[in-house]
Amino acid sequence: MSWNDSMIKQAKKIIKMYPQKRSAIGPLLHLAQSKDGYISDDSIAVISELVGITEVQVKSVSTFYSMYKQEPTGKYLLSVCKSISCEINNSKEIIDVVKDFTGLNNNETDENDLFTFEAVECIGACGGAPAMQINYETVEGLSSENTIKLCEWLKEEQPDVIIAEEMQDNFGGTKSFDWAIKDQSGTTGSVPGFQTFNTTKEKK
Amino acid sequence: MSENIKINVNGNQIESTPNKLLIEACEDSGIHIPRFCWHKRLDPVGMCRMCLVEIETPRGKMLVPSCTTEVTDEMVVDTESEVVKKAQEGVLEFLLINHPLDCPICDKAGECPLQDQTMAYGPGESRFVEEKRHFEKPISISEIILLDRERCILCARCTRFSDEISGDPLIEFIQRGNKTEVNTFPNEPFKSYFSGNTVQICPVGALTSTSYRFKARPWDLKSVRSTCNGCPVGCSTELNSSQNKMLRILGVDNDSVNQGWLCDKGRYNFEYLNSEFRLKNPLKKIDNELKETSVKEIYTELSELISDRNTNINFLIGTNSTNEDYVAFNEFAKNFPTTNQTFYLNDDYLYAGFFEQDINRATIDDLNNSEAIVIWAEDLKENLPVLYLRVRQAVKNGVKLIVFGHSNSTLEDIADFYYSEDIVSENFEIIKDISKLKGIKEHVKDKNVTAIIGKSTPYQLDEYLDKLVSYLVENSNSKIMNAFSSGNTFGAINNLDNVKNLRDFTKNVSSENTDLLFIVGSDPIGRSVFSNEIHRIIEDIDNVVCLDLFLHETSELCNYIIPTSSTLGEKEGTFTNIEFRTSRIDKLVPSPGQSLSDWEFISGLSNFCNFINNIDSLDGLNELAYQDFDNQDSPSFKNLDKPSNFDGIINDYQPNVSTMPNETITSQYFVGKKLYGDNITIRYSDSISLLGAKQFIEASESTIEKLNLSSGECTLKQNGHQVSANYVVNNKLADGVIFIPQNRRNFNRFDFSETIEISPNQSKEALNVN
Amino acid sequence: MKETLLLTKHMRENPEDSHLIDSYEKNGGYETARRTLINGSPENVLEEIKASNIRGRGGAGFPTGVKWGFLAENEDRYLVINADESEPGTFKDRILLERDPHQLIEGIIITCFAANIKNAFIYIRGEYAKPARRVQDAVEQAYQKGYLGKNIFNSEMNLDLVVHLGAGAYICGEETALLNSLEGRRGEPRLKPPYFPAVKGLYMKPTLVNNVETISSVPWIVENTGKEYNKLGVEGSTGTRIFSLSGHVNNPGNYEIEMGSSFGEFVESLGNGIRNNKKVKAYIPGGASAPWFRGDQLDIKMTIDDVANNNSMLGSGAVVMMDEDTNLVNAAKSIVSFFAHESCGQCTPCREGTTWLEMILDRVASGRGRASDIDLLLDVCDNISPGLSWPPKMTTICPLGPSAVSPITSLMNDFREEVESLIPTKVLL
Repeated sequence: MSWNDSMIKQAKKIIKMYPQKRSAIGPLLHLAQSKDGYISDDSIAVISELVGITEVQVKSVSTFYSMYKQEPTGKYLLSVCKSISCEINNSKEIIDVVKDFTGLNNNETDENDLFTFEAVECIGACGGAPAMQINYETVEGLSSENTIKLCEWLKEEQPDVIIAEEMQDNFGGTKSFDWAIKDQSGTTGSVPGFQTFNTTKEKK
Repeated sequence: MSENIKINVNGNQIESTPNKLLIEACEDSGIHIPRFCWHKRLDPVGMCRMCLVEIETPRGKMLVPSCTTEVTDEMVVDTESEVVKKAQEGVLEFLLINHPLDCPICDKAGECPLQDQTMAYGPGESRFVEEKRHFEKPISISEIILLDRERCILCARCTRFSDEISGDPLIEFIQRGNKTEVNTFPNEPFKSYFSGNTVQICPVGALTSTSYRFKARPWDLKSVRSTCNGCPVGCSTELNSSQNKMLRILGVDNDSVNQGWLCDKGRYNFEYLNSEFRLKNPLKKIDNELKETSVKEIYTELSELISDRNTNINFLIGTNSTNEDYVAFNEFAKNFPTTNQTFYLNDDYLYAGFFEQDINRATIDDLNNSEAIVIWAEDLKENLPVLYLRVRQAVKNGVKLIVFGHSNSTLEDIADFYYSEDIVSENFEIIKDISKLKGIKEHVKDKNVTAIIGKSTPYQLDEYLDKLVSYLVENSNSKIMNAFSSGNTFGAINNLDNVKNLRDFTKNVSSENTDLLFIVGSDPIGRSVFSNEIHRIIEDIDNVVCLDLFLHETSELCNYIIPTSSTLGEKEGTFTNIEFRTSRIDKLVPSPGQSLSDWEFISGLSNFCNFINNIDSLDGLNELAYQDFDNQDSPSFKNLDKPSNFDGIINDYQPNVSTMPNETITSQYFVGKKLYGDNITIRYSDSISLLGAKQFIEASESTIEKLNLSSGECTLKQNGHQVSANYVVNNKLADGVIFIPQNRRNFNRFDFSETIEISPNQSKEALNVN
Repeated sequence: MKETLLLTKHMRENPEDSHLIDSYEKNGGYETARRTLINGSPENVLEEIKASNIRGRGGAGFPTGVKWGFLAENEDRYLVINADESEPGTFKDRILLERDPHQLIEGIIITCFAANIKNAFIYIRGEYAKPARRVQDAVEQAYQKGYLGKNIFNSEMNLDLVVHLGAGAYICGEETALLNSLEGRRGEPRLKPPYFPAVKGLYMKPTLVNNVETISSVPWIVENTGKEYNKLGVEGSTGTRIFSLSGHVNNPGNYEIEMGSSFGEFVESLGNGIRNNKKVKAYIPGGASAPWFRGDQLDIKMTIDDVANNNSMLGSGAVVMMDEDTNLVNAAKSIVSFFAHESCGQCTPCREGTTWLEMILDRVASGRGRASDIDLLLDVCDNISPGLSWPPKMTTICPLGPSAVSPITSLMNDFREEVESLIPTKVLL
């Protein structure tokens, strides 16, 4: 097995949360992705053994979901929404700006493994259109200028923890609703920041 | 039985039974509804949407898939309305927009449901002007299967088969939506024993067999229905040939037996028929060299030898013959007054079996109709593969499964109770009180039970099995299936008067009591655990006649060699399966050179010996075989050729198998057979020849540690004989159990009753250090 | 026009800490659950829910009380909260998860009490990382307080609650696809029949699948009685509903209102009108799956039945306004692309049809259309949704395929000239 002991331990803890082992595949894939930035064949083999199904069955599940990446992603996954509310609020422009800045086409990662760009379907930020997510942390009410600034900031600062509030304060605009709560936790990788996957941290 | 119900289809009333799927109910009444994903033997998924029909509901007419809709009384159905036609045409168009136009080079063309239905229901022209979906064409997903994803219409038949039926889901949907494809995992080929079934049920040319690729067009094929003689399950087959060459074997849906499925060995082990190494002319050993001769010369010499009828003759007889062949040998033997002509069946596992009056015999269908199944036998998946599928089916239907170790560890996953080392010793003895086992108490005692019983390994003592069977007979309403695993064993024991096994052969037969030995379709030296003894005995006997397809380790020792026709496709006759079900073997292709059927040879010899020849016609032999049977129920050609009997006729004849109980010789190893091995026919069937070539042993991780193995390879040594082999980790095996496959090249020369030294492979170990 | 705050009251009044258990409890949170578990009966809870006439807030609008009533008897039953909010235009569950997770948990406790359920799951879409974190924190707080786990509120009741993250698949919002996903499978919808969740749901056991907003309403209904809830809104659309307003409006956002006022009123007052005083060209009344209304149909009432009677649906309550300058072909293309991308791929018409529609629309939108493309579009639509009627008939397993048809029929019915104008009259050879 190519997972270290602490990951295996975490995996076994996750499996225990469910009445049936197979249910844990989803979270285990997120866990795998927190390690490699994508779902490697190696991780699939580990999960297949942990859960007791064949590798191709795990792969069948993992490739169904768009968040389980089949190729390595950069440190920052830039997901610009293109669904209807964003579309009619000029998301095309935001997409172009990000493409220009990074030099990337859809689903590409740069040479430095810093950015991966993707145009995605609705991220539930329609009231704050156009919107995007960086490592699944949402920024709403984007303008072209602020989007460039955001990208520059990411490139220069290269923060280890991505926090929605921080980005929204500095680069965002109209929000879907009042976020109100000053919460300072975010994600530590190009995966959803979530307790179960050990991928969330507070900014000190 | 449930009451019949009436439904109205297209204005006509038809009868059906409740809960039947609409598509089946219509089919039963001759109304065909087009479909791709629905398959009678698979769970319906309603995915292709080709079988949409309209039914009347309180909210008006509704389009529903007929493959997932159960009929209800008074249901009103329209399978031909404008809406239905439009929907079906639409679905076909959707399927075709990404389907390549490579029918001219597609193996499926001519028998392709997509092609046929396009003819019947499809649009005349293409409205799709965009570029079609592209995939690399075709990719090899195993040694025997090719996958063309462009042709695939994503009906999920292959994925369902491998998940639901064979239980080895190695092929799956990958990606989603319009990008969905069927595929295997990188470096994890579709290495199922049942993969060929997916080719057969693929409704397009997406899955094809390497053995059949570009070989023929369906309209050029000749075909007959026959019975597979690869193992005693006796699956119904359709044999296909073109230009007198066997090209393909398909499974036929025999409801009581194989339900359409075949194992890959049964499906692909036929290419040897066309091998250049087939024996074509009779051979005779002169000065230790085999020279071509004529049958007549052999007849002359043999008839001189046995002219006084006091010759001591013996038979070492294989399980590849037809019932009619066996009858011919049996009748021939009756001409000799000596009491010792015995038929030694070429089988290490044969023992007396459980055929007594007080034991109820099980049919395969009984598996589905019992409350529990008890298995203690050779590995079913390796040796009786389609029976293994039927066990899986019964378990899926809710029948409890109790398995005694260690041979059927593959069933552990689906077994309700799997009894391993705590209960079954390394020597395959149940070491606990059977009546106190939880699974037995809960599911066997006083219940309807079907038991599959046979020797797990040639060295298992008979009494161990007796104990379990006695318990079952006394404490449950049990039916027993004797799990002998070689070809037409049941035909042999049905038709030969006195049957013994290879162990008896080594004990009883010697040059002193045998003047003439017939070896029929057998290579015991090549594959028996008693190989060395048999080798010595055969060498000693002055006159050994062998009837075979090939020269091999046994036949090359013989004085006379008669080329024979293969029971697969080159002969007519009957076959009797594990339930004593007799069905037809049929001929499709000619046999090479001067080959004869076994019975033809022996009939000719009878003539030369001036015996009363009552075995000179196939029909006569068939009549002789079943002369004691009630005419109505007898599996005579006449009866079997009635369509209602195509699936075979079961008999309750009590065979005479009288093996010496094995009381002494044991082995510290678990010796068994794998589906693919170093058998002569597999060796000469190119597509599968490599599948049984790997030399290996199996054990659990801890056992392997105890053996100090670490490099992946090891050396097996005994009395100067040495084989280098891989070792495979199988943690389902009990600790201390070492599995050694007997059907591997050079493994036959080991004496498994003695210790074999298993050591790390020296050269490899040395390499690893560096 | 004013909002009526039931579900969003606590968060409005406690903007800084509404997500924390202390804040929730200080304002009476968990009291309803506590009282119900100690003194109430499952039958009473079910009665209140039935009396409230609340209909599911996920999109289909099925009466919740009836759904609960269908749940088959079994030792193992499950509750799954559908927080896979992914319908374009919709972001109302997001606010409930982010800002008042305890209200949802309390709803879950009461629901499980009523339905005798010991295991519940919240399935949150993977992109909702922040909402999921908040809910996970809240679940942990509730466990610490003894509101989840064994002997909740010192009663006999045990309940385990797991927060499960999805991974990017709109189709998992369909309840049977969600169950497949939660079982660790591909999120493909199951066949109905036979797989009705209330009978054969999660692990083939009876399962309630309810939307976040629906279950978040449970504490209020049980506390204030179903009769009181039923008084809000109008018949057939009782209670309040959180509408997500987006598009070309001045004040987009989530608004909790009683159902019954008109879309026009809603946009003018709470949405503060269309930006730059433009006119509405078309609007989507209930998420991307819903057929559009024209700008001259703003007087339609925001109730489930009124919208249905006008051949669309209130769906997930997502209202998207498109002003007079909107390129509706691009808008339709965006929606069709969405459904093509999100098609699970198991049934033929949806897998092949949605992508084909996307290809044709793309051609038309970029000026490469053919004169025959309009008929082709409609006929391909007809092969997915025969008759192009509303509610849609379908050749597909689930309604996702027909959802891709909605924007095209809307476009063709009401804005056909806009499509035609994009098709070159002469084809150059």
